[in-house]
Amino acid sequence: MDRSPLVTTKTTATHCPYCAFQCGMLLGDGDGHLTVSGNDEFPVNNGALCIKGWTAAETLTHSERLLHPLIRSSDGRLRTASWEAAVDRIVEAITETQHKHGLGSVGMFGGGSLTNEKAYLMGKFARVALKTPNIDYNGRFCMSSAAAASIKAFGIDRGLPFPVEDIANAKTILLIGSNAAETMPPIMQYFDQQQSGGGKLIVVDPRTTATAQRADLHLQLTPGTDAALANGILHTLVVENLTDCQYIRERTNDFTLATNSAAAFWPGRVERITGVPESQILQTARILGESRGEAMILTARGPEQQAQGVNNVLAFINLALALGLVGEPNSGYGCLTGQGNGQGGREHGQKADQLPGYRKIDDPAARRHIANVWSVPESSLPMSGPSAYELLDGLGTEDGVKALLVFGSNVVVSAPHASNIEAKLRSLDFLVVGDFFLSETADLADVVLPTAQWAEEEGTMTNLEGRVIRRRRAVAPPPEVRDELQIFQDLATRLGAGDHFVFDSAEDVFTELRHASAGGPADYAGITYQKIDDLDGVFWPCPQEDHSGTPRMFVDRFPTPTGRAQFHAVTQNPSGEVPDPEYPLFLTTGRVMAQYQSGTQTRRIPSLGRIAPKPVAEVHPSAASLAGVKDGEDIVLKTRRGTANFSLKITPTIRHDTVFVPFHWAGSRSANLLTNPVLDPTSKMPEFKICAVRLEKSIT
Amino acid sequence: MPETQRLVVVGNGMAGARFVEEILAKSGPEKFAVSMFGDEPQGNYNRILLSGVLSGTHDSKDIYINPLDWYERNGVSLFAGVKAIGIDRQSKSVYASGGHLVPYDQLVLATGSLPFMPPINGLYTDDGALAPGVFAFRTLDDCTQMINHAANVRRAVVIGGGLLGLEAARGLMNRGLEVHVVHLAKHLMENQLDAESGGLLKETLEEMGVTFHLEKLTQRVTTGDTGDNHVNGVEFNDGTTLDCEMVVVSAGIRPNVDMAKLSGLNTRRGILVNDDLSCRNDPNIYAIGECIEHRSVTYGLVAPAWEQATILAGRLTMTDPHVRYEGSRTSTKLKVMGVELAVAGNVHADDDQDEVVTYVEPSRGVYKKLIVRDGHITGAILLGDGTTAPRLLQAFDRDEQLPKDRAELLFPIMTESLADDIATLPDETQICNCNGVTKGAIVEAVNAGNRSYKSVSDATRAGSGCGSCKSQVEAVLEFAADGLIAEDPSAHYYVPSIPMGKTELIEAIKSQGLKSVSAVFNTLAGGREDPVSKIGLASLLKTIWDDEYDDERDARFINDRVHANIQKDGTFSVVPRIFGGITTPAELRRIADVAEKYNAGMVKITGGQRIDLLGIPKENLPDVWKELGMPSGHAYTKAFRTCKTCVGTDFCRFGLGDSTQLGIDIEKRFQGVEMPHKVKMAVSGCPRNCAEATVKDVGVVAIEGGKWEIYVGGAAGASVRKGDVLAVVDSPSEAIKVMGRFLQYYRENAKYLERTYGFVERIGIEPIRKLLMDDSTAEPARLDEAMQSTVASYVDPWLEGLNPIHESQFLTKPETSATVKNC
Repeated sequence: MDRSPLVTTKTTATHCPYCAFQCGMLLGDGDGHLTVSGNDEFPVNNGALCIKGWTAAETLTHSERLLHPLIRSSDGRLRTASWEAAVDRIVEAITETQHKHGLGSVGMFGGGSLTNEKAYLMGKFARVALKTPNIDYNGRFCMSSAAAASIKAFGIDRGLPFPVEDIANAKTILLIGSNAAETMPPIMQYFDQQQSGGGKLIVVDPRTTATAQRADLHLQLTPGTDAALANGILHTLVVENLTDCQYIRERTNDFTLATNSAAAFWPGRVERITGVPESQILQTARILGESRGEAMILTARGPEQQAQGVNNVLAFINLALALGLVGEPNSGYGCLTGQGNGQGGREHGQKADQLPGYRKIDDPAARRHIANVWSVPESSLPMSGPSAYELLDGLGTEDGVKALLVFGSNVVVSAPHASNIEAKLRSLDFLVVGDFFLSETADLADVVLPTAQWAEEEGTMTNLEGRVIRRRRAVAPPPEVRDELQIFQDLATRLGAGDHFVFDSAEDVFTELRHASAGGPADYAGITYQKIDDLDGVFWPCPQEDHSGTPRMFVDRFPTPTGRAQFHAVTQNPSGEVPDPEYPLFLTTGRVMAQYQSGTQTRRIPSLGRIAPKPVAEVHPSAASLAGVKDGEDIVLKTRRGTANFSLKITPTIRHDTVFVPFHWAGSRSANLLTNPVLDPTSKMPEFKICAVRLEKSIT
Repeated sequence: MPETQRLVVVGNGMAGARFVEEILAKSGPEKFAVSMFGDEPQGNYNRILLSGVLSGTHDSKDIYINPLDWYERNGVSLFAGVKAIGIDRQSKSVYASGGHLVPYDQLVLATGSLPFMPPINGLYTDDGALAPGVFAFRTLDDCTQMINHAANVRRAVVIGGGLLGLEAARGLMNRGLEVHVVHLAKHLMENQLDAESGGLLKETLEEMGVTFHLEKLTQRVTTGDTGDNHVNGVEFNDGTTLDCEMVVVSAGIRPNVDMAKLSGLNTRRGILVNDDLSCRNDPNIYAIGECIEHRSVTYGLVAPAWEQATILAGRLTMTDPHVRYEGSRTSTKLKVMGVELAVAGNVHADDDQDEVVTYVEPSRGVYKKLIVRDGHITGAILLGDGTTAPRLLQAFDRDEQLPKDRAELLFPIMTESLADDIATLPDETQICNCNGVTKGAIVEAVNAGNRSYKSVSDATRAGSGCGSCKSQVEAVLEFAADGLIAEDPSAHYYVPSIPMGKTELIEAIKSQGLKSVSAVFNTLAGGREDPVSKIGLASLLKTIWDDEYDDERDARFINDRVHANIQKDGTFSVVPRIFGGITTPAELRRIADVAEKYNAGMVKITGGQRIDLLGIPKENLPDVWKELGMPSGHAYTKAFRTCKTCVGTDFCRFGLGDSTQLGIDIEKRFQGVEMPHKVKMAVSGCPRNCAEATVKDVGVVAIEGGKWEIYVGGAAGASVRKGDVLAVVDSPSEAIKVMGRFLQYYRENAKYLERTYGFVERIGIEPIRKLLMDDSTAEPARLDEAMQSTVASYVDPWLEGLNPIHESQFLTKPETSATVKNC
């Protein structure tokens, strides 16, 4: 691949490396480094960026950047090595492990920040080159509950089945468990427009977040009681005749399943469960009901990252269907996706149970189609493997994976019950990590591969709207740094599967991805790089080249067998852990503005570090006073799984029974030392948002 | 146990059905073959909501949790309407009415409770049924019968002033009955309340119209001698009587132990159970719900029953095999006729060891009491103010350690507002979180010469992320600039998406010939449509172009698309034009006919002296208009609305000027003229000002000497403002001319949605007067001409009823709140 000089004289229109909003940004020449500015022309962010975007280019030239492969030497230290030596080590380890323990003993773990092309090629590499069923990715920890619920209810999952601009036109928005004002600031322009046009914003969150502060109504619910709240609202809609009977009759199935469950959730009872005053439950139902079909219900990680995540989302989807919102103008249900390519990452075969195009791996027709595109016998395609946490939890065990390849994920920090995951990673025979910094996970690896960063590569991302956009190269990567596409190609060649991995460019990979996705639920067949350039992105499904994409879904029918959306019976189940005398508070985790995910990138950017230098636990004054701790001091949080250290912020903006901690830090300050790995039975989402915790003074 | 076990549940109420739900959820369908007996013929409904059904807030079909098809879908054999009679514990089977004999491996009794019927003469007829007009309030069937009976009677007596009795009283009140509650104890709800709160509750409810008879024992229910034995009154033990046509007995419940007793199970008040919920003398039979007595306690609330159901299901499915039931903490929250009441635990304190916190405010009927032992709540009452009930009851339910400041549980916490005083904040305080901009950075930018929000924002990025810090950035700017603020030009934009003030925008629209909203967006906003700006632009374009305006209907609000005012139920109101408020018998008759024919939900004389027909569905609008044969009254749009008049000179003894004729003329001239906001007018025939002309957007008052005063900028709505005198003129025709001149000036210069009172204040009456009344300049004549051209282009929009703009203009989009529920 050709190498252009580090500094470019042209301006490159690409997108931010961080969240799913994928702000359009312009990278220009800044006298030795890249300058960043918001792209006014990109119709999603309209020029706005948050501080993570403004500072994004600082990781490119960062002094801690990995510039050579590293191999762990006999003295236990990672030492600089050549690519040749690194690839040799990896191929040798894979071959030996598979020889000793079978094909499934080698596994892969991916991430929601990888481009569509990488996610696709990684899935193919696992199935064709490694022939292992054991591949999953960190998107399980993000959107999997909303994805599973959407598929159950609508037959398909696309985060927002409408363009983000529709938000501005909704009369009412019910936003559950999202702190978008901090985690996705540029999206707030649409909520601002919505509110200044007279629309109502109702926010559901245990904390009075920056987002909740802007709401017309804030429902400060008890963690883990989302389904009860939704059922209470539905109960009121039914009783007060505020449902859309015609829509329900014509476009849905089994409404009574939902109303019968809601009959057990009268508002008085829901107040007791959720702590949300009955009057606010009634008010919410009435505001929604009186929006006459022009309302939106949006969920984010709050209700989703729970062992009841799918159940919770289905409860809110029931509401959206009862109100006749889905598929109607300026209305609907949507999930605010988290990771940069959280949407595309889950569509192209990175998930244990899926093949490209959002196909199910156990569907014979899907297997035939993919086998055909990949020119392999169908029988050679593995079946479904374990989900992310299950895969990680099984590492090094009898039937588990013995050698693991990780790309685009820092699981030591991001997986629940992190100490367990760290121990499991250490028990592996062999670990390969591809990253551009020595992340906490990379630090455990036998071989570390330095990978290219966003501004150094070509590819596509699919944003939270299902809009496929282009990531464009502004500068060449450093000389000894490679991107994952090349890494997969090289490894496949050495493993004897090179014939299946012949690509000259990311666009080449995309062309194959298009064929593979053709006819699947997430159909990219008609999307080309050119079309993306011409249309400011293309919304899937886009089945043919003369098709201009699908900004709004479900207008006429749902892709279910009956063409209708499905209601579900939903009840409120207790979360995996509830407070008790020993651990008397709820712990919930989340993000802060100036850091991102496991912090591998953002913790290294000085200006972000100044804003959010350390993890701060938010505690209500009354809980703080009971624990005898003071504002600003160091505290210890303990759960049944571990202990972690935080700095204390006493604030009345959080419920008295809840502690909030951000999860961007590692080591003894890692929130995931505390979290509970109980999984949702369907989505396998771990319960990041709830466990029982005790707050103590720090003794050191 | 690999093979399927036969699980029989006797009782299909709140406890039994919930238990089976839990069993299915925890074990799947294979482990147990479930059979259930239920006395009532239907599935399981939510008994808690019966009071809602009685009071009319709930439809009986909305209270089903498990309708009959639920049992079928889940493979549960339900014997509905079949009464289980006894248990053959030897052969392990249940026998029931109709000769059913069902064998079991596991048996669960959830037989619930029965209403307690005190020994009162005349409650029953000879055949043992309740006398006609006497009801127990327990089942859906009771409820239905009560509703039917209540429709034909006037006065009801409720025997029992406990929770259920008061709910029954509320329900009957809602149905229009006069309700008397008879109670044996000294105060209401003596099981939950102390004397003081019971007394307060009584006072509050009395104010709402319930009559209470405390410390009265009902001895007899009397029946009429008409032969139908219908109840006609009650007699008390003190010899007094009370006439009534309905008696509801809600004197408490008792556990239904009949079948258990018959089958030889140990019972006292309830079926005696152990901590594993097995029966005391037969560990192979379990019991849950209101029929049990556990550690000497019986329960009459749903929460304990569901707790027991969960525990027993956990044990029987082996998913939680060692869990034990250790009793429930009971609390309840209810609304009695709008009075909020939350009660928890035992509200009678033990003086030796309890700390008691009380707050009483008799004038509002508020009573709060907290009984604390070892830092935990043992009892609490919140009456009349339930604001902290969610917090308090959760603290009780979870047995939380209480905060040291007990007031937190009784009063809402005032969240401290963010530091208002920007001046005292340290420089390193972060103002814009999105971009990490500190106060110091903003101050620096201001000092460097940035004196507007926009230029500060461009310089520092403050406010450019999520925008929530805008007001704080502005405050810092104000503080740092110390009065030298350059006004933010965007504050003067007519609409947010086009960076032009109104004059500039009008200029651009005119010079480039932009006649539609989309043309404006394309030319002046780079093609980006902004929904927020659409309606304002539409109004402006109409002002500029009159009939040349290219009316794209999607730029209009629904009211302007269908020329009627949408109401909260989605129907529309129709206000025909009645010039000057003067009508005729024939016109009134026509209006009455139309109102009747189209079922107008309400006919209302409006504040503007017009007649409003409310509740007209969209699809009927064209016919209504046609049959009225009257033009649109424009009661729905941003335009001239009505001109109110007084009686004037024809009849009034005081009239100085012919106000009615002037009102008619004004209305004929200005009808339908679009404005930045609605415009209301009035004409009074003398300074007594019966038409309230001085608080209208434009008003005229006749004064001595045949002169007329013209007021502008008055308001008497959300804001109240007396209008300013714009001019005094000599004739009605002169008045109309000056009014038109002002209106045109307002149309051209006001911001969209700026009422005249704000507009006049913003510009100042002096400059306006100078501009409009100085005939030596060309401006007054230009304004007169522009208004004339607008008036000439007027077409009655209701004519679209005959010729819709598009075929679906008056079609109803999918109905969102059908009056008949069928979904």
